[in-house]
Amino acid sequence: MSVATQSERGVGRIRSEWWRPALVSLLALLLVIATGEIVLDGAAGRSPLIPKSPAIAGWLQGIGERLGYRVFLVPILLFAAAYGAMLLLTRGVRAPAISKRWAIVLIAALHAIVFAGPILISTDVFSYIAYARMGVEHGINPYLHGPIAISRDPIFQYVGHDWRHVATAYGPLYTLLSYPFAPLGVKGALWGMKILALLASAGTLVLTWRCARARDLDPVWAILAVGANPLYIIYGVGGAHNDLLMLMLMMVAVSLTLRGRDAAAGAVVVAGALVKATVAALLPFMILSRRRLAPILGALAALAAGAIVAYAAFGVHGIDVVAALNRDAAFVSTDSFATEIAHLFGKPGVFPIDHDLLKASLVLIALHLMWRTWRGYDWIAASGWTLLAISVTSTWLLAWYILWPLPLAVLTRDRRLVVATLALQALFLLHQTSPLFAPVQ
Amino acid sequence: MSDASTSPEHDRWSGLPAWLRPRPVDLPGSGRLRLIETTLLVLLGVLLAVATVNDVVRQTHVNHRLIADLATWRAYTAHPYHNLSIEQELFGPASQHEVVCGNTSPGGPKARTQLCLVVYGPISGGRRTVHGGWYLPPKVEDVRSDRYGCFGAASRGMCPP
Repeated sequence: MSVATQSERGVGRIRSEWWRPALVSLLALLLVIATGEIVLDGAAGRSPLIPKSPAIAGWLQGIGERLGYRVFLVPILLFAAAYGAMLLLTRGVRAPAISKRWAIVLIAALHAIVFAGPILISTDVFSYIAYARMGVEHGINPYLHGPIAISRDPIFQYVGHDWRHVATAYGPLYTLLSYPFAPLGVKGALWGMKILALLASAGTLVLTWRCARARDLDPVWAILAVGANPLYIIYGVGGAHNDLLMLMLMMVAVSLTLRGRDAAAGAVVVAGALVKATVAALLPFMILSRRRLAPILGALAALAAGAIVAYAAFGVHGIDVVAALNRDAAFVSTDSFATEIAHLFGKPGVFPIDHDLLKASLVLIALHLMWRTWRGYDWIAASGWTLLAISVTSTWLLAWYILWPLPLAVLTRDRRLVVATLALQALFLLHQTSPLFAPVQ
Repeated sequence: MSDASTSPEHDRWSGLPAWLRPRPVDLPGSGRLRLIETTLLVLLGVLLAVATVNDVVRQTHVNHRLIADLATWRAYTAHPYHNLSIEQELFGPASQHEVVCGNTSPGGPKARTQLCLVVYGPISGGRRTVHGGWYLPPKVEDVRSDRYGCFGAASRGMCPP
């Protein structure tokens, strides 16, 4: 077959797929509408899905209706379906179904809508502010006491009931980073946290783009898969979660590794773990893959520096990450897969022995992945699988935990990881749907 | 171009058994291992999907029961209140016995004297049967020491003497 004939066929095929960009544009519009509906309805107030909050989105009130479970589920499921279809339509096609510019515009629009609205779904951001105010305004160590110690502080009324007696489980680097927000007042600190989450998300997406390009993968698809993800936008950015900061540091480490700066990469993984410990899961895979001393030395140097700063700021409790992890590992949420499997086998919930079995499973999975990495498997994929395994075996599963592997999943050629990550997210959303069939009022 | 099999790094690990020696890249021939991994992943995926669907169905049944419980409280008291609380585990998590509490006069949640009803049995006409209950003073949670005026068979032993 001649080159000219091939070229003509290619042009013909591209022409025959004119519908693809049109359909992707329609799906993008659906994402924006669904996000807008959730935010506007959330701003209407009196919603079980919107935590009690200072009035930061009052100017949006009066446009939407009250965000009940059903009102929330319809747009989030629509969002998820449109997102899934968009990923299918934009993956591996010759003619780009969405340009780089329009992909960035879409992701920026989704972020802007959520940024302008109220805090969605979770009270965590109020805990972050409460811990900061405990340290700065009241001189109380947040690693020793829960927010109940500042029950007269204006932030206290917004802290979730379950967390009022719980000392912080976040890393000392994050706690110190949150301290400058404390003197800004409750509203100021809340906006500060929203801006921090927005910047962290932007950083994560820029680094995802750069890493995808460095690995010769489609960067537009990669940032769409992360930045237009329903859980990422509605739960992650919407809740201003510090997981976004952890993800950004994770991507800094991946980016540094791809540029051969192993010592700095090891140090940044530790910095990420000093925000939220989970990201430390990357370190063994990075070390096994690089087979050099540099990442170990970088990690040790950062760990030593972090431990000194944490000890100086918070005493011995600031560096006792293991105690905080052990405490949190005992929590149980109804959305965890462990609880669902317990229900499937007729048990009322997970038992202590189940915690041990899950931990043992996680160790086995991690060991297998380490061996695979040693034998040449992509360390980024192995890290992603480990983060996914952590969320599956955790008895305390929240929507933003299933985001952890996503930026890594889009950077690997092992498609199983991205399929598994998105499938788990879909199951998480499916698990929320019982109010659609029987709404309790 | 250097050959991986003769590189200094290869020499360093040459004492290890073949299956334990490091490789610079994953071999394309590791298809059998990949097949085993994929099979396990699919099986795990099926288990998680079945567990999720089962839990949605279970929760839907629970929601149907709770809807009937709320309707029962409203019919029993003739108060169309929406700020009602339901305790599902007082008689055991698998008992399907629920305790529904609400104000006896208009007011915020738990702001007035509360009436708690013990509800269980099959749903009939969108309601279940009240088998007893008790009262609570305003602004308290449902703990035994605060209960008074217990009535019905189901509340036997639930109030302080």
